[in-house]
Amino acid sequence: MITLHPKHPFKAPVDAECISPDVFAEKSAKEIAALQIWEGNRKRTLSGLFKIKHENDSSSKEFTIRICGDVSKVRKIGAKMSKGNIIVEGDAGMHLGEEMKGGVITVTGNADSWTGSMMKEGTIEIKGNVGDYIGASYRGSTQGMSGGKIIIHGDAGYEVGCFMRKGLIKVHGNIGKFAGIHMRNGTIFIQGNSEGRAGAQMISGKIVVCGHIPSILPTFTIDNVRPKVKVNGEKVEGPFYRFIGDLADGGNGKLFVSKTKNTHLNSYEEYL
Amino acid sequence: MTVITGVTCPVCGTFCDDIELVVKDNVIIDVRNACAMGAAKFLSYAAHRSLKPLVRKNGELVEASMDEAVEKAAKILVDAAYPILYGWSNTSCEAIRVGLELAEEVGGVIDNTSTVCHGPSILSVQDVGIASCTLGQLRHRADLIFYWASNPWSAHPRHIERYTMFSEGRFQKSTWRGYLSRLSGGLSRKRLQRAVNLVLRRDIFTTPEVKRRMPYSMFQKKRKMVVVDVRKTRTAEAADYFLQVEPNKDYELLQAMRMLIRDEELDVDEVAGVPVETLEEVADIMVGCELGVFFFGLGLTMSEGKHRNVDAALHLTRDLNQRTKFLIMPMRGHFNVTGVNIVFTWQTGYPYAIDFSHGYPRYNPGETSVIDILNRDEADASLIVASDPVAHFPRKTVQNLVKNPLIAIDPEVSPTTLLADVVFPSAFVGIEAEGTAYRMDHVPLPLKKIVEPPKTCLSDEEILRKILQKVHKMRRNQN
Amino acid sequence: MDIAIKNGKIVKKVNAKKAKIIDALGMTVMPGGVDIHSHIAGAEVNSGRLLRPEDHVNDVEVKTALTRSGVGYSIPSTFTTGYRYSRMGYTTIMNPSMPPLEARHTHEELDDTPMVDKATYPLLGDWWFVLEHLRDDLIEECAAHIAWMMTATKGYAIKIVNPGGLESWSFGRNVQNLDDPVPNFNVTPREILRGLCKINKLLNLPHTIHVHTNNLGKPGNYVTALETMKCVEDLAEGNRPVIHITHCQFCAYKGSDWRTLSSGAEEIAKYVNHHDHVTLDMGQVIFTDTTTMTADGPFQYGLYNLTGNKWVNHDVETETTSGIVPFRYKRKSSVHATQWSIGLELALLVKDPWKIYMTTDHPNGGPFTAYPKIIAWLMSQVARKKTLSKISKRARRKSLLPSIDREFSFYEIAVVTRAGQAKALGLTQKGHLGIGADADVAVFNVNPEQVDASKKYKTVRRAFKKAVYTIKGGEIVVKDGQIVKPVFGKTFWIDVKTSLPMEVNDDLKRKFREYWTVEYENYPIPESFLHVPAQISVKAEI
Repeated sequence: MITLHPKHPFKAPVDAECISPDVFAEKSAKEIAALQIWEGNRKRTLSGLFKIKHENDSSSKEFTIRICGDVSKVRKIGAKMSKGNIIVEGDAGMHLGEEMKGGVITVTGNADSWTGSMMKEGTIEIKGNVGDYIGASYRGSTQGMSGGKIIIHGDAGYEVGCFMRKGLIKVHGNIGKFAGIHMRNGTIFIQGNSEGRAGAQMISGKIVVCGHIPSILPTFTIDNVRPKVKVNGEKVEGPFYRFIGDLADGGNGKLFVSKTKNTHLNSYEEYL
Repeated sequence: MTVITGVTCPVCGTFCDDIELVVKDNVIIDVRNACAMGAAKFLSYAAHRSLKPLVRKNGELVEASMDEAVEKAAKILVDAAYPILYGWSNTSCEAIRVGLELAEEVGGVIDNTSTVCHGPSILSVQDVGIASCTLGQLRHRADLIFYWASNPWSAHPRHIERYTMFSEGRFQKSTWRGYLSRLSGGLSRKRLQRAVNLVLRRDIFTTPEVKRRMPYSMFQKKRKMVVVDVRKTRTAEAADYFLQVEPNKDYELLQAMRMLIRDEELDVDEVAGVPVETLEEVADIMVGCELGVFFFGLGLTMSEGKHRNVDAALHLTRDLNQRTKFLIMPMRGHFNVTGVNIVFTWQTGYPYAIDFSHGYPRYNPGETSVIDILNRDEADASLIVASDPVAHFPRKTVQNLVKNPLIAIDPEVSPTTLLADVVFPSAFVGIEAEGTAYRMDHVPLPLKKIVEPPKTCLSDEEILRKILQKVHKMRRNQN
Repeated sequence: MDIAIKNGKIVKKVNAKKAKIIDALGMTVMPGGVDIHSHIAGAEVNSGRLLRPEDHVNDVEVKTALTRSGVGYSIPSTFTTGYRYSRMGYTTIMNPSMPPLEARHTHEELDDTPMVDKATYPLLGDWWFVLEHLRDDLIEECAAHIAWMMTATKGYAIKIVNPGGLESWSFGRNVQNLDDPVPNFNVTPREILRGLCKINKLLNLPHTIHVHTNNLGKPGNYVTALETMKCVEDLAEGNRPVIHITHCQFCAYKGSDWRTLSSGAEEIAKYVNHHDHVTLDMGQVIFTDTTTMTADGPFQYGLYNLTGNKWVNHDVETETTSGIVPFRYKRKSSVHATQWSIGLELALLVKDPWKIYMTTDHPNGGPFTAYPKIIAWLMSQVARKKTLSKISKRARRKSLLPSIDREFSFYEIAVVTRAGQAKALGLTQKGHLGIGADADVAVFNVNPEQVDASKKYKTVRRAFKKAVYTIKGGEIVVKDGQIVKPVFGKTFWIDVKTSLPMEVNDDLKRKFREYWTVEYENYPIPESFLHVPAQISVKAEI
């Protein structure tokens, strides 16, 4: 196991694509210390910015990187990783686990926007809140998250699961607007409230809102009332209104919204 | 006294190029063809300007030589680990080209004012594409004109006259006569109303009922104008039909329209405060037109939903092309904000919010856009060109901007130049300096030099070139 | 054999003691590459760049002490475009599609495209003045207007795209064949083509008319392509070409729909082999993700309908239209694989390499950086077989390639990548290494006398990817595939002298405000606007 402590608080953004078990695993301590990392427009070494501690930890077979301290300005931690673990004890910066292909990232604090964007496999778990564009695609691309799991214990921002193609995003708290926009497939499960416009322009996939939602987009049509809904194999008790949409895009996505928390939607029942 | 014709107007995105100026002894004394905004600019541009470079010493801005100011500016930029270079929409493409080279050389973030206006439009164009055209195409052909969340009557005063309703095209006639008769009708109605109220000593006309029915003119085979906005603007008063949308509900309205033009039904009776029957009528008119166009403004890009509103509008236009010809165009604000996106794109591949800190262009608005960078307090120096962020950015953003070294290049005295550490008063481009700029529809036009600038005021391009040369020299010495 | 260079030109000999000597023994030495058709600058290309951040993000050029940074893949930024061409030994690039109203934009971008000489073709086939004059059969007046336009926009050749179709597209329609009249103008594509072909001769322009045919990209369109060639057959004099059909692969389709698509290359090649008035370029398709962009608005709209991808449309008043759609050519798609096959079939079946040139219609068939791959396919049957074995079965069954055993020699490659293109363009000082030619030279690390390109096609491909030396105007600008000296290139433009300039000016001035939304005086580009202008004066016969 390797532990990293930031040596000083960062002002300019730090680009640390190299903080990944895949990169560390094949390198000696000296090579790891010399890894190149950007602080603003300055090239630094990993050891220049972080105190690096190597520990022999026989309890886990997987290679583990532990980061202790505030790395909220450190971007791309665990980007493209395919194995091992990263544990961030504190807040993590943007693009955490971007394009990751496997392994586990755990953050005890908050994570920033674009967490798990374009991820293909693996698990990201955030104990705090996250920013916007979780599991999204890059600008102009339609290739969002295509597998894996993102679990958020706090709240999430806007456009979660933008252009998502597969996988699961689970939010224990509340979620901002446009959850699942342009979603192609996959599942977004929200235990808290949604700010609205959930499922905008979705083509397929499933969004479950257990809390309150101010309104449903006019381009969704009500389909059914379901007593429960299955999310990733587990059953969630309802009842739920099931809407189909986004019809403006010829979509066939399923939007489940709690019936009991959304009594203002009962006018839709006349269409059933 | 000389008359200079064909002058381009360096004010708004309409970028009229038919201005005539009367010049006497290096002073513009009369302006023809321009709107009030343009005339004011040409006649009183030099009212608030300083003439000498300024450098802050012991907390005070004092006059300095050009060399001293250049030296100081270059040093600030070379020393910075994450400088931002912002502004650019009110200067020439030539200056912007130098600016990009400077940003690349100092490893900074370069961003332009579209980050706070039509940046969201660009993001959605990157997701959807855009069906657009030059303005003349609409002058000749458009018979259905939508101004959505924009108010050209006040913000782009000659837009309607030059390119849409009141312009005369090959296949479409001007509608100014119809407008005049409607206007006089409205005036007599108001006069009558006042007289009746006086006689009866009470207000018999309470607030008129919202017009649900389309007026007859909407069904005629001639040019028609529809305004969609949250309030009845001057433009809306001139329109054939005004569709009032609940604030922050444009997205719902646009998406619903997309279904209606495909003759599909909605589960609801009302969208964004508009009854669905009305929307169905509007949809019929859209599908039935020869060539329609949406002009959209900041009401769409900067209200709830931002780029997703534009996303829906672009999709709607795209869908409409299955049935007829329909185009869409953002109403750009500054005279060269289109140009700055264009120049950024050809040199770097990206239109705004470009981060050169790793030695090559990177782009991700939200991450590399100036306001977000300042809000997170990441920048440690800034260069502002032809813009006034201190007056326009949010307070917290400004605080983070001014606490670090700040360089300003601006012909005018502004809150930004007052708080800067190095100030270069420049020549007014399009009046005192020439160059190129792009109209809102991507048509490039020359900016002209009408009068000589004061000797101490160089053009933005020249000042930037001096700084760039100095930076080159300093960096060579460093290595 | 030695090649002597002095003051940017090839000369008979130089003082060997004072000169810098490059030892190119055992290497291939060719004139600098010439590309007759590559979309590298202007409104349309730039809209493509803006549209596709996802295209650039994984292909970047880092700034060096000598070079500017940029982004690449299918639509590289301007600096990157110049560097990448130069690294492959190219020195002259023609930008084939410029809306005249936005000419300033094209030239600004060309100025920022270093390392290569360049020129650009204004789109004139659907210009209202052309439609009106040709409708009224006023050839000379029309010619005089075109002369004005060529000078005003600093253009090089007459570009015609889907004649008549673009004006129709302004109201969302298209023309179906050469005799389908243009709505509101009552002139047919045939009349436009013939008229402009005659005008091209009257004006003595160095290149022929440069034509993107009607019905491009539609199954069955090889008939249209043949008719287009035939319609100017009688205007030819001697063996001089009078028409260039560009990216011919896109108009060599047989079949009634996409399912029955097959190759029309044989018919087209047969016609071209028997006629001297036509030249072609390939428009080869590469299996990759790219961005299609043409002035053919209706074609691009069709492509959007086919793919559902993002779509940009930009119509330009009184002149032209354009469209952009990202596109991925897949090996396993029978349509795409057939397209790939047709491009190569054309090049191989046209017997005379001076009649067909190597292009990808960058970026429509694929980015220009794929040229070394095409060279390998042209030179080696093995290379073709290898790709054939990986494509869709259906396409393989239909492909004519297995029956063609022709393999290009190095000499023929030099013709299709430089000499032939320079000749077609009338650039007399380019495309050869004779005395007096521009000293644009490319040196590749492959021995033409020893390497059997047919078997060692990979060696050839590698060699053409990175020139050992690129010499531009007598200066070494690339060494071992690296830029060692950044240079600006020249911009060629045609100054046509006619005896009617005054009358044209008056006519234009009178109509200007009616036709456009800009002022007459702001339309022409002064020569001083170009960074390094290279004026070519021609005297017209009017």
